[in-house]
Amino acid sequence: MQFAVPPRKSYHTPPYARSSRVSLQRRKQLKVVAIAGLGLLALFFLISRIFSSSSSDLDDVSIATSGVVIVTVLDHALYSENYLHKIIQNREDYARRHGYTNFIANVSDYESALDGAPRSWAMVPALRHAMASHSHSKYFFHLGPHALIMNPSISLESHVLDSKRIESLMMKDVSVVPPDSIIKTFSHLKSNDVDVIFTQDKQDISPDSFIIKQGEFARFFLDVWFDPLYRKYNFAKAEIHALDHIVQWHPTILARLALVPQRILNAYSRDSPQVAVDGAYTEGDFVIQLSGCASDAMQSCEKEIEPYYATWTKKFRNEQSLLS
Amino acid sequence: MSLSRSPSPRPGGGWSSPGLTAGGGGGGSSSGTSTPRSPNGPGGLSWAAAKAKSDEVRSYPSFATRNNGFFSRQKRKISASLPRFRITPTTTYNDYHEKNKRKHQQGRYGHEPWRQENQRGPMRFLRSITRLKRTRFLLGLIVVWIGYLLLWTFFVETYRRSALGGGRKFVIVLASNVEGGVMEWKGAREWAVERNSIRNKKKYAQRWGYELEIVNMLARKKYSHEWRESWEKVDVLRETMRKYPDAEWFWWLDLDTWIMEYSYSLQDHIFDHLETKSYRDINVYNPLNITHPRTDFYLDALARSSTADHDPRSIEILLSQDCGGFNLGSFFIRRSIWTDRLLDAWWDPVMYEQKHMEWEHKEQDSLEYLYASQPWIRSRLAFAPQRLLNSFPPGACGDGFDPAVHYQEKNRDFLVNMAGCQFGRDCWGEMYQYRELSNWLNRTRWERFKEGLWAIYLTLTGQPSLPRPRQPPPIRHEEIQEIK
Repeated sequence: MQFAVPPRKSYHTPPYARSSRVSLQRRKQLKVVAIAGLGLLALFFLISRIFSSSSSDLDDVSIATSGVVIVTVLDHALYSENYLHKIIQNREDYARRHGYTNFIANVSDYESALDGAPRSWAMVPALRHAMASHSHSKYFFHLGPHALIMNPSISLESHVLDSKRIESLMMKDVSVVPPDSIIKTFSHLKSNDVDVIFTQDKQDISPDSFIIKQGEFARFFLDVWFDPLYRKYNFAKAEIHALDHIVQWHPTILARLALVPQRILNAYSRDSPQVAVDGAYTEGDFVIQLSGCASDAMQSCEKEIEPYYATWTKKFRNEQSLLS
Repeated sequence: MSLSRSPSPRPGGGWSSPGLTAGGGGGGSSSGTSTPRSPNGPGGLSWAAAKAKSDEVRSYPSFATRNNGFFSRQKRKISASLPRFRITPTTTYNDYHEKNKRKHQQGRYGHEPWRQENQRGPMRFLRSITRLKRTRFLLGLIVVWIGYLLLWTFFVETYRRSALGGGRKFVIVLASNVEGGVMEWKGAREWAVERNSIRNKKKYAQRWGYELEIVNMLARKKYSHEWRESWEKVDVLRETMRKYPDAEWFWWLDLDTWIMEYSYSLQDHIFDHLETKSYRDINVYNPLNITHPRTDFYLDALARSSTADHDPRSIEILLSQDCGGFNLGSFFIRRSIWTDRLLDAWWDPVMYEQKHMEWEHKEQDSLEYLYASQPWIRSRLAFAPQRLLNSFPPGACGDGFDPAVHYQEKNRDFLVNMAGCQFGRDCWGEMYQYRELSNWLNRTRWERFKEGLWAIYLTLTGQPSLPRPRQPPPIRHEEIQEIK
């Protein structure tokens, strides 16, 4: 066929062939770039994950460090080595059974920090010290020097720390300081809000046996508790009353505090004047606390401990023989 | 639009053509703008001829000659007064289509040359203007410029206030109505201080999209009863934090403060450079001689470090020190659990019972005490050089011009805190002078230009030049008490 005029070249001739060749090349290049980019991103992500997990959380407990540190502050100036040896023996046995760590401190180490305050205050800086030296442990169990673990088979995790267990143990909406403080524990407290677990006796919150979780709260709580103005204030029961005071006046402390029944962590002997209702020691309880023995004549603690120590050794020896 | 007379029928002329008004819908008698044509109207046309013309005219939708309104009535006058830049129709109508149209029209109305001038003149003039690219561009520019002038600040401020702009992260907490006139009668000067100070903060907050919370510090029985007078700061901060759940930083400002530079945003001035603009180690400037860092062996590494963790993200409270120690006339506090704890620990009855005679500056002294005695405070507290957020006027912390303490005009300091002005100094006088100085320093280019012209005029006529606003001079009274 012939035309008068040769067919006009279209303006927008799509150069298909060429463009497809280019795009094919492009596609390949793009693929490579995309894969490389993705790979890099994944690498960065992994690295950041690794570093963030390694650098930050104190709460992450590595396998080598035990999650629980038992803190005991002993006063070598007031008690015989024989007595203190019994206490240490008791703690070491318990720690060995559950893989816990012992932090046994000496009151005289903290005397300079106490600044003339009663020696019983030493437990507060000792706890801070334990946390500083076991920075990867999560829980710190303070057990006073006049207490024996009577049921060493109980592990802290299953006994109190488990979230379901603590949820069921927590005493909600009860007076913080017995019997009738108008400040009551929060009724909406959840187990994951809890950073410190205390018991009450008849009159006070008892600092002789409690568990505190390492972290921001613990530092804040211990520092506030140990404030020089409280130490100077002549509270009748020194650190015990200071504790009662801060828990009642500072809701940010109360919001992190759980109270559990006395016998869970801190059973008193039956004839102790401070024992709360249903707080007296019975066979099988976790801990016996010889409360008030320190304020009596010097010998009373050493005397009082004898029957409990005898029971414990018997049981301990029995188990030892069973094991061997 | 005003009408000199209502439309009325004319003998022989009838009503104004319904055809001319019907198309508009909004026209007609309701708008009262249709004007009857005189039967002996321009060109001596009859009504019928006019109708025919209007029918013709209606066939060109772009050519709207609704014969109503002031403009229509005055059209002739206007068009007559317009410059005639077109001599013959063909010279401007190059467009083929237009030419065709012209021909068509000329064929019909060729014998009526006035029509082209009268009816089509102004529209064509406008069109020919808008058709020109350059003019269109210019017009567009003007529209954009006007829009910029009118709306730009609005858009910018809206953006800053939005979640994207980040302005809502900051709340300015301004303590007003201090004591509410309970302890001392509030006079005209006190009211002036209050009004001006509030306006100053409002303007600043508005500009950067920050929230402003003006709190009433009225003396309340609640506090005097518990010996907590003027300890409300803590409660007020807690309430404000509850009120603005999205905000991160809360900036406490005393009433006797003046923001000198509105153009400084908090982000740019402080918080984007927190690491370089703040210091953790109190030994940099330590008027209270607080032992730092703590050396107690039982503390952890963080509590014993002089600079905490070096991480600006861990700063929860940022304040400045003056010659007497901590100054809480202008400080920042961040919402966090740590802050809750600080606000909770700040006031304690046992501490207060022992110290209330000694703690003259109440929560300020209390915070100093907590800082010194409780290690957990130090790890989250940072200091700012005083002049970053809290410059003093001469008279506070010495009469001179101490470059660490006192307002420096050449550095364009951000804020002046007339600390202690109520003790023997003149709060309103100082505030007025700083206000004027700030306005003068931040005057616009136009004002500078006017000022320059005025200065030239003054020198030409041999008059003394205008005085410029100045920082208040140091007052040397016996009764000046140096107040932190």
